[in-house]
Amino acid sequence: MAVLGLLADGLVFSSIIVLGSIGLSLVYGIADFANFAHGDTMTVGAYAALVTFGGLSGVGGPSLLGLPAAFFLALAAGFVVAALVAVVTEKLVYEPLDIGAIGLLITSIGVAFIYRGLVRIVFTAESTRYDVQSIRPIEALVPYGVRVTYHDVAIVITSVVLVGSLHALLQYTDLGRKMRAMADNPELARISGIRTDRIRLVTWTVGGGLAGVGGTFLGLFNRLSPRMGFNLLLLVFAAVILGGIGSVYGAMLGGLLIGVVHESMPLLSGLGGLLPLVPDTLGIPVGIEYAEAVAFVIMVAVLLVRPTGIAGEGT
Amino acid sequence: MSDEPALELVDVDGGYGEVQVLEDLSLQLEAGEIVCLIGPNGAGKSTALKTAFGLLTPWTGSVRYHGEDISGTAPEEVVRKGIGYVPQTDNVFGSLSLDENLRMGGVAREDDRLETVVEELYDRFGILREKRGAKARELSGGQRQVLAFARALVTEPDVLLIDEPSAGLAPNTADEVFADVEAVNAMDTAILMVEQNATKGLEISDRGYVLDQGTVAYEGDADGLLDDPEVSELYLGG
Repeated sequence: MAVLGLLADGLVFSSIIVLGSIGLSLVYGIADFANFAHGDTMTVGAYAALVTFGGLSGVGGPSLLGLPAAFFLALAAGFVVAALVAVVTEKLVYEPLDIGAIGLLITSIGVAFIYRGLVRIVFTAESTRYDVQSIRPIEALVPYGVRVTYHDVAIVITSVVLVGSLHALLQYTDLGRKMRAMADNPELARISGIRTDRIRLVTWTVGGGLAGVGGTFLGLFNRLSPRMGFNLLLLVFAAVILGGIGSVYGAMLGGLLIGVVHESMPLLSGLGGLLPLVPDTLGIPVGIEYAEAVAFVIMVAVLLVRPTGIAGEGT
Repeated sequence: MSDEPALELVDVDGGYGEVQVLEDLSLQLEAGEIVCLIGPNGAGKSTALKTAFGLLTPWTGSVRYHGEDISGTAPEEVVRKGIGYVPQTDNVFGSLSLDENLRMGGVAREDDRLETVVEELYDRFGILREKRGAKARELSGGQRQVLAFARALVTEPDVLLIDEPSAGLAPNTADEVFADVEAVNAMDTAILMVEQNATKGLEISDRGYVLDQGTVAYEGDADGLLDDPEVSELYLGG
């Protein structure tokens, strides 16, 4: 029954990775560079939520899934502030620079240090947490080996709603079609009359905002620290590349897979017990501290078979 | 409307970055005609189209649309004035459906006739209606070229720039595409076309320009150019 429990944990962690991956992939598709500041954009969102939540501590109201109403307002603030920071950075830094994809990538590493440095100056390097009451796992699920809290459920449901909304935006609205058209072929988009400057800003808003929500949830899932987003960034990159860089749906899939693999590490050492015809004592003794390495091994293995990623289209 | 040409390049120098391609290039496209640009590789034919459409800004000289100077106007605004452009390659959104491709072609429309115009295009190009839900990258070369035309026609431009419509197509398919070019022209759309198959291109054109080293070497009626022994010898492969 340990499998169910690990899958459940994986799903929660995946939700956070997916929220980060989507923005990274969206921005890659339209601005055409790998944004290394994306992890720290998640951090910015988390701390914006922390400040907002602290400021709203006196506000009452109903609570949902073990979270006070004020937390959901803080979540919205995480979205808004992260989106705003991403858009302002695009306007002030990336857009004026005419230095190509590699130059922008290196610039974004610098931007990441700036975000992180500012967060450290204000909040110190110590980790912290939201002032939310810890809750026990849902009793009804414990017998199945699943130890998730209502907070975890809130993370998954909110992520599903956001991902579903993004899907609806991309597929069924004019704005979404323009975003896809621009990611597909920016020059033809301009030739068709799409005012691509606006679409770029919308993309940064959506990508940055989702990163902010992902960061806020990461703070709820673990704790907040100035390095939290950066520490997650490699996994987010792995998810995006695994899914097919530039593809939003690939990022969703890649995020799900990487998150589940990351949390399912204990399964490896007990592999024999899970498989028929294999002695129970057999296993791959890899400690959970190597979870990221295993996630990358999976990524490399998939890329060897499908070099463009799961949903990538090649060139 | 004035007596000005529908589209005109006047004394244009231009190119990419520091590299000059066009040198003192002047050409005109009158309302309703088909004009073909021919000439060797690197003569500046495609560069002339890109400059006319605002994808490149002329260094000196000007681009005029019905007499209005549109030099340096961005392509997304040029298309709103009434000019359409069909690039040679990457001329459809491969990951979008045919229907979405046409809708993207209509982004610049500011009236509410989009649905009507798209239906008219489906009527004219039956193959597109048949495959309207398919992704554009699933089309054959000829079908893709038809979609590329249709995308550019959703704005109902009165000037259409087409870069090498027959490039990479089998001869039969190329003939169909040329027939489509004539059909589009028959709806009062003036066409400025670059074509590497110079003979075929001139055959469906009213006039032609032979470009060489970024400027006009010969110009005249298409029939005259086809019959000109010197043009024939130098540019039409004997």
